[in-house]
Amino acid sequence: MGSVAATAKTVAVEDDVLAAIDTCYERGWTDGLPVVPPEQSRVEAMLAMEGRPPETVIATHPTTGLECSILAAAVNAVMAGCLPEYFPVVVAALEAASEPGYNFHGSAASTGGSAPLLIVAGPVVADIGMNAAGNVFGPGNRANATIGRAMRLVLMNVFEMIPGISDQSTQGHPGKYCSCIAERAERNPWEPLNVELGFGEDISSVTVYAGAGFCNVENHGGNTPEAILDCIADSMANLGCITTGQSVVVLSPEHAEIVAATGWSKDDVKKYLFERAAQPVEAMKRVRKYVLREHERQGTQDVRRGFGPDDILITVAGGDAGGHSAFIPSWSRSRGSIIQSKPIGVCIDC
Amino acid sequence: MSITLIDPGGRGGSTDRTLAPRLGDLNGLNIGLLSNGKANADVLLRETAELFVGDFGCKVTGFVDKRNASRPALPEHHRELADTADFLITAVGD
Repeated sequence: MGSVAATAKTVAVEDDVLAAIDTCYERGWTDGLPVVPPEQSRVEAMLAMEGRPPETVIATHPTTGLECSILAAAVNAVMAGCLPEYFPVVVAALEAASEPGYNFHGSAASTGGSAPLLIVAGPVVADIGMNAAGNVFGPGNRANATIGRAMRLVLMNVFEMIPGISDQSTQGHPGKYCSCIAERAERNPWEPLNVELGFGEDISSVTVYAGAGFCNVENHGGNTPEAILDCIADSMANLGCITTGQSVVVLSPEHAEIVAATGWSKDDVKKYLFERAAQPVEAMKRVRKYVLREHERQGTQDVRRGFGPDDILITVAGGDAGGHSAFIPSWSRSRGSIIQSKPIGVCIDC
Repeated sequence: MSITLIDPGGRGGSTDRTLAPRLGDLNGLNIGLLSNGKANADVLLRETAELFVGDFGCKVTGFVDKRNASRPALPEHHRELADTADFLITAVGD
């Protein structure tokens, strides 16, 4: 491979890493935190994980036409702090976000202030050392933190989704710095997410979801599926969160074990949540959130979250101890953004 | 000695676009209205257009509701409005 510096736009800085970090700030290349300066040998190491030419376009902005090449993705992955072995996940995530159904312009520009939540499942989780256990949404793991951050840096640097300009989030949320989790396969009582998505056991996947702020669902006393799932359904249906958008539910291992122990399948869980995550029409009207045309599409007496059980993605992640699951509300109030998934090309020789 | 940094920006896109020329005179021109589908966007658009109708004798010749605020208008929407309108008004409604 030739030097990327021969064809890319470059900036020469003095041979001082701290000065290079400052240059990145001065040029507006950061998310507010310091970045790893995108020095060319680091970028070339990232590109070596991808079999396609660096100029290959993997994502396009539907409104401005701005394009993200593999090279641009690699530069931003370096800046985020990614190791080269993480790069296939970053590429697959960008390809998923570029699917028209995801609508990454709307979700990134909107006052709704969502973040692309990445959910990684399959063998790649262990291969690259992702954290699927305790503190799965929190800090401490390089892969989780930097893969999620790479997505944000691409949104800002490549697609120019700049806070206060093209990103008009009313409040945003901390997940806009990085939002990447892994499914905990060994504590998942059901089929892995990558298998459910049709990719097969040996093919890892990344799923992208335009998620709003995190909602912790606590229940330490419940020991039946109904007790656990009623709490989750109540969170999904609270008047501030309920829309006809999709849902992501991340069950803690403890909650998943209680639910599955009595024979409930993942489909049973989805159906139960769809039935229970509901509000009376009168309540929706009282708070001025009732949309007749959306309710008519649901065809139900009360107003549900989403349009059916398959609008609820279920995964399992988190530490061994603790009755804490999570519901992630959707940015989309209806079909403005649909969950997208892609297989991860972890084999560069394939 | 120096360090070579690779620019993280994208390519193509909005830098290729230019603004339409300014209209010299509004009198008697045709107006196209593009609603993004948000609540009350149509009300805001139509009331704004009425000001142009009253003050400049303009005429509303096209109205498109793209229904989804977060997605671009379709090419056929652009064509439909451009066929008859001299200028376009669009709005956010909430």
